[in-house]
Amino acid sequence: MKSPLAYVPRRGPLQAASPGAAVAYLGAIVVVAFLYLNPLVLLAATAAATLAGVLAGARTAVRAGWRMGLWLALTFAVINALIVHRGETVLARLGHWPVLGQVDVTGQAILAGVSYGLRALVTTIAFAVYSSCVDPDRVLRALRPLARRSALTATLVSRLVPVAGADAARLRDAARLRGPGAAAVGRAPLARRLLAGSLDRAVDVAATLELRGYSLDAPRARNRRRRSRYDRRFYAAATLVLTAAIAGLIADADAFKTYPAIQIGVAPATLTLCALILISGLAPLRRRGSNRRPSSADGTKTAYIGTKSARRRRAGGGREVARV
Amino acid sequence: MSELAIRRGAAPALAVQGLSYAYPRAGRRALEDVSVEVAPGEFVLLAGRSASGKSTLLKAACGLVPHFHGGEVEGEVRVAELDAIATGPGELAAAVGYLAQDPETQVVSTTVAAEIELPLEMRGDAPADRARAVEEVALALAIPHLLDRAADTLSGGELQRVALAAALVTRPRLILLDEPTSQLDPVAGDELIWLLRRLNEEWGVAVLLAEHRLERCLAVADRVVAMDAGRIAFDGAPADFLAWSHDSDPALTTPAARLFSLAGIDPLPVGVRAARQTLRGMGVAHPPNRASRRVSDPHPYVAEPVLRAKNLWVELDRGEEIHDVLKGIDLAVRPGERIALMGRNGAGKSTLLRTAAGLHEPVAGKIAVDSVALLTQNPGDYLVRERVGDELPGEQGAAALRVVGLEHALDADPRDLSGGERQRLALAIALAGRMEGEQLPSVVALDEPTRGMDRARKDDLVALIERLAGNVDFVSHSESKSTRAAVIVATHDVEFASEFAERVVLLGDGVVVADGPMAEILSGGWYFATEVARVLDLPGVVTPEQGAAALTGEESR
Repeated sequence: MKSPLAYVPRRGPLQAASPGAAVAYLGAIVVVAFLYLNPLVLLAATAAATLAGVLAGARTAVRAGWRMGLWLALTFAVINALIVHRGETVLARLGHWPVLGQVDVTGQAILAGVSYGLRALVTTIAFAVYSSCVDPDRVLRALRPLARRSALTATLVSRLVPVAGADAARLRDAARLRGPGAAAVGRAPLARRLLAGSLDRAVDVAATLELRGYSLDAPRARNRRRRSRYDRRFYAAATLVLTAAIAGLIADADAFKTYPAIQIGVAPATLTLCALILISGLAPLRRRGSNRRPSSADGTKTAYIGTKSARRRRAGGGREVARV
Repeated sequence: MSELAIRRGAAPALAVQGLSYAYPRAGRRALEDVSVEVAPGEFVLLAGRSASGKSTLLKAACGLVPHFHGGEVEGEVRVAELDAIATGPGELAAAVGYLAQDPETQVVSTTVAAEIELPLEMRGDAPADRARAVEEVALALAIPHLLDRAADTLSGGELQRVALAAALVTRPRLILLDEPTSQLDPVAGDELIWLLRRLNEEWGVAVLLAEHRLERCLAVADRVVAMDAGRIAFDGAPADFLAWSHDSDPALTTPAARLFSLAGIDPLPVGVRAARQTLRGMGVAHPPNRASRRVSDPHPYVAEPVLRAKNLWVELDRGEEIHDVLKGIDLAVRPGERIALMGRNGAGKSTLLRTAAGLHEPVAGKIAVDSVALLTQNPGDYLVRERVGDELPGEQGAAALRVVGLEHALDADPRDLSGGERQRLALAIALAGRMEGEQLPSVVALDEPTRGMDRARKDDLVALIERLAGNVDFVSHSESKSTRAAVIVATHDVEFASEFAERVVLLGDGVVVADGPMAEILSGGWYFATEVARVLDLPGVVTPEQGAAALTGEESR
């Protein structure tokens, strides 16, 4: 069973953009979440991250991000409600607790906790979208000229994780197929066997990397490429979001007070910022009819033209390709 | 030497001179004074039994030996004028491509396109050049539809092609292949061999192919090099190789050659086409009427079935989608039957066996079976301890070891056993406790047990299957009905199936497309037919012995 956060090759601007552009775009949304506590802004960031994931085709990953984020948000809300006793709207008096002392649950503390939780929610959704849409190979290759050994280790691990997963499933099956008269296999022998097998696998994968020329010096200059229009789009979206966020801080768009009473700022600056953040969630929108292949590691300019050829391609038939 | 001179073929694609090599901490040398050359554009078949040094020679030719594996090396290896012992595999990658047996560890990227592009990127090619090279190699190998796929969603055959594409994308002068067809069905295996021939003819790529199933590739080879105990035992034309193997190592000969040898016909044929030409020259005509292919069942079984599947549907989750693998299988298996379960990769063979063993639950229909001992494709998965006796303690363990003939190895470390012995030990582990006294479970199932096996080991396996299925009491070695298990073997190896099976069940996309006596099924098709059946095209004639009898009978007429 594949992880819902695993990278899935798809056609789409976010997948076609360089890892740097994708990280800048999703990172900008996360930065907003950490700059602001106003729930309106945080909800806008949550919506933008969700929209970006859905438009990028990563619905499964977005759902997984939501699940994880909601648990975290709930945890934050509960913890904050239990440890912060400020606020004028007392919802429950839970008496004296060890360590915590007198516990009074207030509506303000819950909302403050929810606000912190929203930050976690934005982060998990953005990470889920990143994980599902950004090819780890491209990230590793981008890192390779900077830190070759680290990139090699990461490449080995990224390949060995699914291989070890498959090996573990096979070993579990073999353990189930042992006759009742054979010695039982506990977790420790299985783990030892898996580890030994993984080392063999690692040697094989490393040999393949050797054969592919991984040990050669990374030729950085020739590898450098021009930014694609998708890169430009996501860098522009990131710049817009960050600029608006900073401007919003100056214009007091983060007006939010929780104690003693809740005051959520709804000034024009806040609403404008929310609108801009929401609009940034549309950045992965694919233009109707275009069907660009994303998987080339450098965004090479091979395009599949028109929906008819794309359908034929999905059906495994011939293709029309054009250089643009 | 100039690039142009090399391209014109002035230098050999591979030149090995006096190469001796020992792996680190190895007791004996894996290669001993090996000298061999491969000319540009030549297709050379590397033959030999298991552990004869074929894989090590291939690794030396691509630089993995000694650069990656270490060890002691003497002699000289030159690949397209590059010194392979002084130069690492990375630098050699532009001149030589290498494809190993297991495709799973040969794909290191997330997507197919990225995997094929990787060697070019490492070399520093410009993005536009890389895009074009990927496109062209994908078209050449007929995999453009796979370019956008995630590597972990590919089948074994698809992975093998992707790995081959990654090895070829740098346009190497030499491609080295280590049993690339061992995990492929007959159709995919033949496709791969003919693809190599096409690349060899149209691109001028020299090919050095190590393979056990020689009947599959002898006809396309220009030359055969046979190895024995790390040395070159033969180097010559395919026809001469057959004459040599007939005298020196019959385990390396092909079924068609054995057929001619038994029938006393010269020269020995290098393939089906040559065999047919020789027979036509002798006036042996093929039957014009293919209508009647029915062969009567030589061993009709009437006992109650020990395995019965009725309208069996099984679906599996393959990551991105739920897929119906078995689609309404009806099957009855009786005690003592020896059944070859055949079909293309992904037809559902393993799933059927795993369902019988309880690893998958049917979504519809039902399967009833008394008890099943299943040996999966990787016997090593069963071996987790460092002493055979610790794997199989007590009387039940001892009984299982007796069944597979390993009672003498009680104190051995499983890692010290030979490949065949490890496989038998894994089978004993699956059998242990499922036997009543010396009585076997009702079904013994083996999933692809001949991967990477040479002929001698296959013969041992056939003998073991015959013991399991029939007829021999393991204690007294006398005829006994009580020890009969139905043996079901999922296999792609048509020649092996003809050796052990009485019945063949052919699966196609999750349904039974043929079920009948082995001689009928394996003599009536194109791909799922033995070499002898393809040569003679006679109903029911599948083995060299049957063919020779038919030929001598015809001649006498």
